[in-house]
Amino acid sequence: MTGAFELVPAIAVLPLAAFVIALFAGKYMPKKGALAGIAATAGSLILSLWVALTVATGDGGYNNPDMYTFVEGLGGTVTLELGVLIDPLSALMLVIVSLISLLVHVFSLGYMNDEGETGLPRYYAGLGLFTFSMLAFVFASNLLMAFMFFELVGLCSYLLIGFWFREEGPPSAAKKAFLVTRFGDYFFLVGVVAIFAMFPAAAGRFAGDGSFPALAQAAIESGQTFYGFDAQTAILMAGLLVLGGVMGKSAQFPLHTWLPDAMEGPTPVSALIHAATMVAAGVFLVARMYGFYALSPTALGVIAFVGGFTALFAATMGVVKQELKQVLAYSTISQYGYMMLALGGGGYVAAVFHLTTHAVFKALLFLGAGSVIIAMHHNENMWDMGGLKDRMPVTYWTFLAGSLALAGIFPFAGFWSKDEVLFEVLIHGLGDSPLLLGGYAMGLLAVFFTGFYTFRMVFLTFHGEPRSDVAEDPEPVRWNVKGPLAVLGVLSVVLGAINMVPIKKLTGAKIDYLHQWLDKSPDAFLTSVHHYAGDHGLLHDYAGYTKGYLAGETGTVLIGAAVSLGLALAGVLLAYRLYNVPQPVEHTDRLGRAKTILMHNYYQDEYQVWLATGLTLPVAKAADTFDQGIVDGVVNGISSVSRFSGRGLRRIQTGVVSNYAALLTIGLVLLIAAFGLMGGWF
Amino acid sequence: MIDVQWYLLLSAGLFCIGLFGILTRRNALIFLMSVELMLNAANINLIAFSQHFGHVDGQVFALFGMALAAAEVAIGLGIILVLYRNFGDIDVTAPTTMRW
Repeated sequence: MTGAFELVPAIAVLPLAAFVIALFAGKYMPKKGALAGIAATAGSLILSLWVALTVATGDGGYNNPDMYTFVEGLGGTVTLELGVLIDPLSALMLVIVSLISLLVHVFSLGYMNDEGETGLPRYYAGLGLFTFSMLAFVFASNLLMAFMFFELVGLCSYLLIGFWFREEGPPSAAKKAFLVTRFGDYFFLVGVVAIFAMFPAAAGRFAGDGSFPALAQAAIESGQTFYGFDAQTAILMAGLLVLGGVMGKSAQFPLHTWLPDAMEGPTPVSALIHAATMVAAGVFLVARMYGFYALSPTALGVIAFVGGFTALFAATMGVVKQELKQVLAYSTISQYGYMMLALGGGGYVAAVFHLTTHAVFKALLFLGAGSVIIAMHHNENMWDMGGLKDRMPVTYWTFLAGSLALAGIFPFAGFWSKDEVLFEVLIHGLGDSPLLLGGYAMGLLAVFFTGFYTFRMVFLTFHGEPRSDVAEDPEPVRWNVKGPLAVLGVLSVVLGAINMVPIKKLTGAKIDYLHQWLDKSPDAFLTSVHHYAGDHGLLHDYAGYTKGYLAGETGTVLIGAAVSLGLALAGVLLAYRLYNVPQPVEHTDRLGRAKTILMHNYYQDEYQVWLATGLTLPVAKAADTFDQGIVDGVVNGISSVSRFSGRGLRRIQTGVVSNYAALLTIGLVLLIAAFGLMGGWF
Repeated sequence: MIDVQWYLLLSAGLFCIGLFGILTRRNALIFLMSVELMLNAANINLIAFSQHFGHVDGQVFALFGMALAAAEVAIGLGIILVLYRNFGDIDVTAPTTMRW
């Protein structure tokens, strides 16, 4: 088949070209490289849509794993390749990434160019490279390629978070983001090596009969052992190692600490990082190799618990933050926690659904925050805002749509996806995996906090009386800010329609389009929904996930939706009572000591710094002493022995020719005498 | 016919005279002459055995040895000239700069 699928590499190469153009020619161009980026991402979006359309109308996928082989494995050793894997999941993600990236580029015209920033070619080059890395990561056909672009995504986030490198905060935040995610990536790398070593024939491929999930399944069936471990244990260990990278990138507890600091970067970059590229990469990776994780109930349980805990943990911290972007940062961590919870709880479609809706509404919220920040002359403290509702209506209404989606209020996009996440976890928890109910409880509790902090943010920012001079007379924003907001605002309202599972369950109408879409994946790929979650899918057969209901299927749907919606509304109402007043005060002071803990983020940073300075540093110093004293000591000792003996021996070289002749003669005589003695001449 | 051992005694004597010259004298010209003596001692050896065994190989080698000696003298005299130019003397113990 020719056409769209042949052009898939171009989707990533276009932003790469924009990167090169912006870097080398950006300063001569009218918008400093922005136009190249916009053109490239628009091209990527069009190509991605075409690919998605081809997936929808064609046979559902395209797998070309050995497009370029850079190391040919001989006789059972691994082959390293670059390839393209397009299935409904990656096609969907390509559309999301290129759409968000395009809107972020347009928004940057308002946020960066109109604000008179310097160094813009570097900025747009960074955005281009970021988009390129993420798009290539999305269509990667094997684990090694995914790892390579995963790392490149991390590098780009470093470059962009530290964009304002002359200030004090951003370089430090960039380094933190790089190091914390790299800590996770270290485990990921070991996991990649483990998977390549366990299944050398698979070459790390994600899809197809020879892929590593398929071989792992076969290994469990045949009772194969790996290095003395049975297949289940080996798969669990490899899965958890890869999960380390996921937790770093997707900011899951305890590797979430980089993300709030990453707010030091330009706001459009935050939008890109949080919605479509960096943070989404982790969750996408789990979804990509779901066939592998679904084989191990323990790995799924870990994912679900880490996700559920992170969702609740981050949501509580979002409650007390004073800066707009900080609240959003913690909400991102929390929402990615939901996606992990869904993946761990057997809700593959739910996780992808939440990934999609979250990409839209979180990009919207960040761009809205960016608009507010422009208006407030880069003051992000919500206590200096207030009353912006009437002064910037477009921003207000779109931000409100995004907030309703984030809080999970009916019928905005976030309600449908979050409800499905919780529903999937609940039914599997009520089935044979009761431990999931713990994750469900944490996720459910987080819904309340989400509603509260979201609307605390909205009310503090937009309602009440202006609390500073700038808020009285905010700087107006232009079309290039309002345009992306409008697009995303509309999407946040309607995007839930792609997968209205509760409506389907109640009325029987087949409107779970996302489910059908993801299920279109060709059977040969082994990445379809029914392969994972069908009646005899991997989740049922290997992870032992079964469905249980409280009061029949319909009853469970209604009860689950009602409880989560009720909790969200309760949070919103509490925020309304406390903060929708002309002169709000800091009610969080009433939390007492809890507030101090929350403001300090549960002392996560402190203990991680302690780990570095109190534990790692002494170990490193001891190792340094060993290296300097013992290892270098041996080497230096050997060299001083030879230097000392050389200093003595060189005395025989007098420079007098007669002495050399004498030595030669003596040597010859001795040699002859020795030969004579040994040869028995005498 | 003279027996081969007499030739060997002659060549050993010549060689020892040359060696004695090298070990005891300091004049570079005497050095060169001593080296010539030692080379010719070797040539006598070669020719003696050539005659003893009835092969011409040894004589050919002796010719090579003479050519070698001529070349060596050319280089040796060059070295002596440089020695004189730099040190004002042809005493071989004078140039001791080529050491540690």
